[in-house]
Order: sequence, then structure tokens, then C-alpha cells
Amino acid sequence: MQETKVVRPFPFFRAGARASQPQLSKPILVLEDVYKFFRPDQPTLRGVDLKVERGEFAFITGPSGAGKSTLLKLVYRELTVDEGRVLFCGRDICRLTDKSIPFLRRNLGVVFQDFRIIDHWTVFENVAVALEIVSMPKRLIRSRVAEALERVGLAGRGPELITNLSGGEQQRVAVARAIVPEPALILADEPTGNLDPHLAIDILTLFEEINSTGTTVLFATHDHSLISKRDHRLISIDEGRVLESQQGLKHWPGSGIHTMAG
Amino acid sequence: MDLKNAIVRARRGLREERRLYVVAVTSLAVAFICLGATLLGVTNLDAAATRWGQSGRITVFLKDGADAQDVAQLRVVLEGLADVEAVTHVTPSQARNSFLEEADVGADLSALPSDVFPASLEVTLVNGVTRERGESIASRLAQFRAVSDVESYGAWFQKLDQLLWGARMLALGLALLVMFCVVAVIGNTIRLAVARRRQEIEVMKLCGATNGFVRGPFVLEGMFQGFASALVAVLALLVGYLALHESVDSTLAALTGSRVVFLGAWTLVALLVGGALIGAIGSAVSVRRYLSV
Repeated sequence: MQETKVVRPFPFFRAGARASQPQLSKPILVLEDVYKFFRPDQPTLRGVDLKVERGEFAFITGPSGAGKSTLLKLVYRELTVDEGRVLFCGRDICRLTDKSIPFLRRNLGVVFQDFRIIDHWTVFENVAVALEIVSMPKRLIRSRVAEALERVGLAGRGPELITNLSGGEQQRVAVARAIVPEPALILADEPTGNLDPHLAIDILTLFEEINSTGTTVLFATHDHSLISKRDHRLISIDEGRVLESQQGLKHWPGSGIHTMAG
Repeated sequence: MDLKNAIVRARRGLREERRLYVVAVTSLAVAFICLGATLLGVTNLDAAATRWGQSGRITVFLKDGADAQDVAQLRVVLEGLADVEAVTHVTPSQARNSFLEEADVGADLSALPSDVFPASLEVTLVNGVTRERGESIASRLAQFRAVSDVESYGAWFQKLDQLLWGARMLALGLALLVMFCVVAVIGNTIRLAVARRRQEIEVMKLCGATNGFVRGPFVLEGMFQGFASALVAVLALLVGYLALHESVDSTLAALTGSRVVFLGAWTLVALLVGGALIGAIGSAVSVRRYLSV
């Protein structure tokens, strides 16, 4: 019988800990032969191999139900892999104990299609929550939140209630919440899904600006019009398998993603 | 867990869910009032029993035709005891008159001859003499030649003890019931609050909040509910006590010789701390299942 190995929280995932130099030189995210089953006969992800370098911007695309969200959920440990490994900064996050998961998530920023912001809180409170959980001093929280709101174009809107904001502004609040703890990696799960094309481009540009400061961004979307406007790396998932292009839709082999994704 | 942050968030939770919490605190206060009232009853019964137990009496019935010298010797012995405060000789005619006065039986028994009632020595013990010591004196007195019987009222105290035991069991049962009610009501209130704030919890967990961070404010809210309910109940009982004790006091003093007392300081502390503790436990248990995000 195989002995179950008890894994202690990785120092890097503990509050206040910093990544060492060898960790910084490794790819930020590596998926090795990852399988995820929701039904025994039909894996949602099958043998996914993926490497994301530090500072990269990558689109994850594919039809609905292809496994884009599942892949992201494996990274922020809402789900666990059934086979294979997910390495974040060289550490296997599948082996993290439940107590270590919060420390992993503090190194990630997650943005969703449905914003997931609290309606009855103010803009400030919605962004500040990401810093309150690490018991940051109030004065520092105020300055960091103000800075984040400025970066997403909501400078001075902190005291406003979420219900007074438009959809695009609400998504900007969600982005501000994701970037305020200065995470190493941002996972955006269809962040433009609820926005009109104009706002979608605005949000995409915002993520690109964040990426330009060195933050790695994984941007899941099935909006081809959005992908076609940029030359970022494209990771396509179809029926649980990954197909890749290093330089966007224009460089996709053959007739492009349209034929592949139907 | 950052306590300051948890308190701030608990205050916000209490403000946002105030209607829900007012209803919960009111229902729980009723339960605490029942428990407090029973404890008040037990406290007073206990106080009366202690008072009666400590103001002990022994009646020494003398044999018909007991030698006056033997009776005098018995008196000397009794008066020499440090535990005895006073010794009164009751003649058969005095006993008959006293009986007819106290029994309020009218003319039916007024024809009873005096020799039906035995002569006796009424022994009043010093205040603070324990019941066990009284029993010991009574058993020794029974050995005197002039004594036909000794009544130390042990059976009566036994009945009072049984009554007290019953009241204590009732209080214990009520305490358990109230504990169950508090856990159930606070648990359900917190569950409702958690359901309404599920999105908040989800967001916090996704941002990297630990279970302690999420649980903290809910535990504090539950603790506050339990404490507030117990406090409301104590205040309600105090108001009732202050309003009624004067009128009850005179009746009780006439009947039992004791006065109404309020709950002791430790009982009050136990009620308040117990309420807070059970509230905290109830909410911690109910919030636990919502932490797996």
C-alpha cells in the first residue's frame, strides 16, 4: 500500500513569505498530464500539458463546456486534479493541505464573468477585503486601495455603493480587488462575458496594462472577436485537450480557431 | 484571527441583520426568563430551607407522671449545652390551648381534656446549629428516663430536601432545554445570516481568507445574541423582582419567616457567560458547513 505523504504548507504560501530566486526562475504555472473527471467515462480535461512563463499574457479559449473554467479552478484549488500535477511557482498545489489553500489564493487574483462583488458594500470595501484578510494596517489598505482604483480608472469612487455603478465599472471593481494584493498570477474567467463589445475591449486593455507591469494573466474567453484583436498567446481547449499557438489567432495553423472550435 | 477586524465585521453583520437578530434575541430571552425564574424559585427555596435548618427546634415529650426532679435535671443538662438557646416547659393545659388556637378547629375539639396532650420541653437551638447536630442532640435526649419521645422535625426537613431536589432537577432540565433552544435558535439565525451573506464568504475565501477569518464575525454575532438574550432576561427578572418583592416579602415573612432574595452574583454571571458561550458554540457549529468554498 502506498504511504500517504503529509505535506506541510509551503513557505511561499505562508503569509508574508517571499519566493526564493530558484522559484522565481521557474515557469509560474505548469500543468503536467492533468486529468479531471466529473463523470468516470468522460474526462473534462484529458492529459493537459501546459506551461505559462512569468509575465506572460495568455488567452484560454474554447467552446462552452470545453474545460476552461475547470482548468482555472484547478489552479485556485476550488477543484483538485484526478491525475497529473499542477505546479505553481514550482510547487505542486494538488498536494496542499486545506489549511494552505488560503495562502495559495493570496498569490492569485481571480476575476469572474459575474463579477462576484458584494452589492451592499461600497467600492472601497469590495476592494479592501482582499487586504483585510491579511490583517494589513488600515492606513496601508487605504493607500493601496486608492492606488488600485486609480489603475482601473475608478479613482475617487471608493465611497460609492456598488449598485450605483455600471456593469463595466463593477467589473473594474472586481479587477481592482484582484490586483490590490499584487498577486503573481491573475486568472480571469470570462471577465467580459457580461459586457458589451466596447466595454469588453476596455477590460481587456486593463488586463494588458496590468500585465505590462509584470503580472502574469490567464484570460479565459470564448469571444473570438476579442481574441482576434490581439496577438497574445492562445491556449485552446476542446473536448478536454489543449491546442496552442504562441502568437494569437492570426498565427493559428490552418484556418484558425473558428474551424477548430466550431 | 484578527480580533479587531472580526469585531468590525461582526458589528456590520449585526447592523445589516438587525431585524433577524432582534427576533432571535426576543425568543431566546423568553427561554432565559423561564430558566431564570426557576433558578429564582430554587434560590428562595434554598434560602428558606437554610434558614429553617439553622433556626432549629427540638420538642422533648415527657412521660405521663414523669418525676419533677428528673425533668429539672433534664432542663439543667439542656441549658448547659452550648447549642441550646432556650428551654421552655409546656404543660398539658398550655399545649391544649396552643393547639386549639393554632389549629382553628372550632368547638369540635374544645372538649378535649388536657391530659390528652403530653407535657413537653420546647428546646430552641442557637442560630447556625446544623441539622446533623440537632439530630445528634435529639438522639441523646431520648435516652433520659423522663422522656417518652423526641421530635427533631427530621422527617419534615427530609420532605423539604426532596422538594428542593425536585426543584433543582426542574432547573437542571430547564437549563438543558434552554441550552438546546439557544443552540438551535442561534444556529438557525446564523445559518440564515450565512445564507444571506454566502457571496461575501465566497469572495473572502477566493481572496485567501482562512476559515478562522470567515468564522470569527459569525461566532461573535452568536456570542452577542446569547449574551443579549440572557441580559434581557436578567433585567426583566430584576424589574419583576423590584416590583413585587415588597408585597411578596410580607406574606412570605409571615408564612416562612424568610424574605425573597434575588439571584446570586455567581448565578447571574453564569447566566450571562453561559448565554454568550452557548451562542458562540451554536454559531460556530452552524457556520462550519458553509466554509468549504
